[in-house]
Amino acid sequence: MSPSTLLQLRDVGKSFAETVALEPTSLNIEEGSFVAIVGPSGCGKSTLFNVIAGLTAPDSGEVRLGDQVVTGATGHVGYMLQKDLLVPWRTVQDNITMAARLTRRVTDDDRNEARRVAERYGLGEFLRHYPSALSGGMRQRVAFMRTLVTHQSLLLLDEPFGALDAQTRLEMQQWLLQVWKETGRTVLFITHDVDESIFLSDRILVMSPRPGRVIADLENPLARPRTLDTLTDPEFIELKSRVMHLLHGGGA
Amino acid sequence: MKRSVLRNVGIPLLSLAVLLGLWEAIVVIFNVAPYIMPRPFDAIRAVTDNWSLLWPLVLGTIQETLYGFACGALLGLGLGVVMAKVPFLQRSLYPLLVLSQAVPVIALALPLVLILGFGRTPIVFIVVWVVFFPVAVNTFDGLSHVDQDLVNLARVFGASRRRTFLQIEIPASTTSIFSGLKIGATYAVSGAIIGELYASDGTSLALYQAHANANLNAAGVYGTTMVMTALGISWFLLVVGTEVLLTPWQRRSVARRALFRRRADVVVSTVQH
Repeated sequence: MSPSTLLQLRDVGKSFAETVALEPTSLNIEEGSFVAIVGPSGCGKSTLFNVIAGLTAPDSGEVRLGDQVVTGATGHVGYMLQKDLLVPWRTVQDNITMAARLTRRVTDDDRNEARRVAERYGLGEFLRHYPSALSGGMRQRVAFMRTLVTHQSLLLLDEPFGALDAQTRLEMQQWLLQVWKETGRTVLFITHDVDESIFLSDRILVMSPRPGRVIADLENPLARPRTLDTLTDPEFIELKSRVMHLLHGGGA
Repeated sequence: MKRSVLRNVGIPLLSLAVLLGLWEAIVVIFNVAPYIMPRPFDAIRAVTDNWSLLWPLVLGTIQETLYGFACGALLGLGLGVVMAKVPFLQRSLYPLLVLSQAVPVIALALPLVLILGFGRTPIVFIVVWVVFFPVAVNTFDGLSHVDQDLVNLARVFGASRRRTFLQIEIPASTTSIFSGLKIGATYAVSGAIIGELYASDGTSLALYQAHANANLNAAGVYGTTMVMTALGISWFLLVVGTEVLLTPWQRRSVARRALFRRRADVVVSTVQH
């Protein structure tokens, strides 16, 4: 295990009844990297996430975070889904501090941090609002801030922008890259949008279903910072074509 | 704000006035004898003229309703939680709960008197009996339908079961729980009146009405019914008011500053605008 490896999976596999959701899989994720996982539905992406998050105990294998074995344990990653899962009975500020409230007493430091993060990322005027007053994009941003202030170095994002319209989605992707750059977290990002996976990541894991497994592990050579022009870069198109072929058969 | 008050209070009051007007009209047009159906005004006067006599009885009914509702709501909440959390208890208790409600309340009153004797206790018991069921069923339903992704998110954050329950599951069930409490509130006063009729030890609102009836005092009978109805409505409105106070997010897009300040003194100064 190299010193900069944050997450390590060793032969992690999971079956539900007769179905192999995830074949024994081994992975190393570098600290500070942005890794996209792309694949059709049913390829075991979410199972992989739930195993890493500790929600699902794997049938075999081991999950290591830093120098700790965390197989089947929770409370060690930040986690965000397509559904924002904001609670309607709490204000934006209190939603951001939700992780603290669920594990200990919320302190003034927590509230101040929530305020700072919200102000930094353009929601400072909405701290006192209830989530019902926010747009879909704003809600996802609050959900991401809630993930951010858990101070976990590994963030698992499961199609976080999947429910947004194309315009908002592009804004959110650029916003996410900005936050990622500023906070230096390690991001594992599930998507079935190939463009999104290339636009965001340093590295792309392509998965295929029945049984769920990683069929390709690609370096993303595109320079940062990524801009709108990145989307039409020849390298982008080339990588996209490779991923598409991997996903839909026909070889690369 | 003014407009909504007018809509929410004005329209119900107007329909009440229309109802009383209809009653008046029926009595006048069909020339109904006063010992069958008095005019609404006479029924109201039968109440106001005897208020000093009625008030202690009304107070008694309020007390029975209060005790019975409080105990019934707590019992219902407890049963709902236990059934939602322990599948074995859900399977064993749920049929018994349904069975309990199949017993006609009137048929329950007499055995209760045999067991507990006449007085407050059997009356309160009946109120508990009619209140706990809707509260238990709705609490159970609410807790069973909490978004599992939300519960999982709490687990990923490292929340204990207790905190997940208090911070996620209970607040997520408030709408259901209040539905149960509102149904319970409409039953509570009726339960108390039935109890009073069978189990009170001499003086009660229900017996007052029975006496008025025996004395061919139709205005007194109708007036007492109006008082009972007013009690029922007040009880329901009290629960609705509590719900409105406890669930500001249902109607507001921004938290009240007073409410917000208590939880975050530091922040308020920066979000004045």
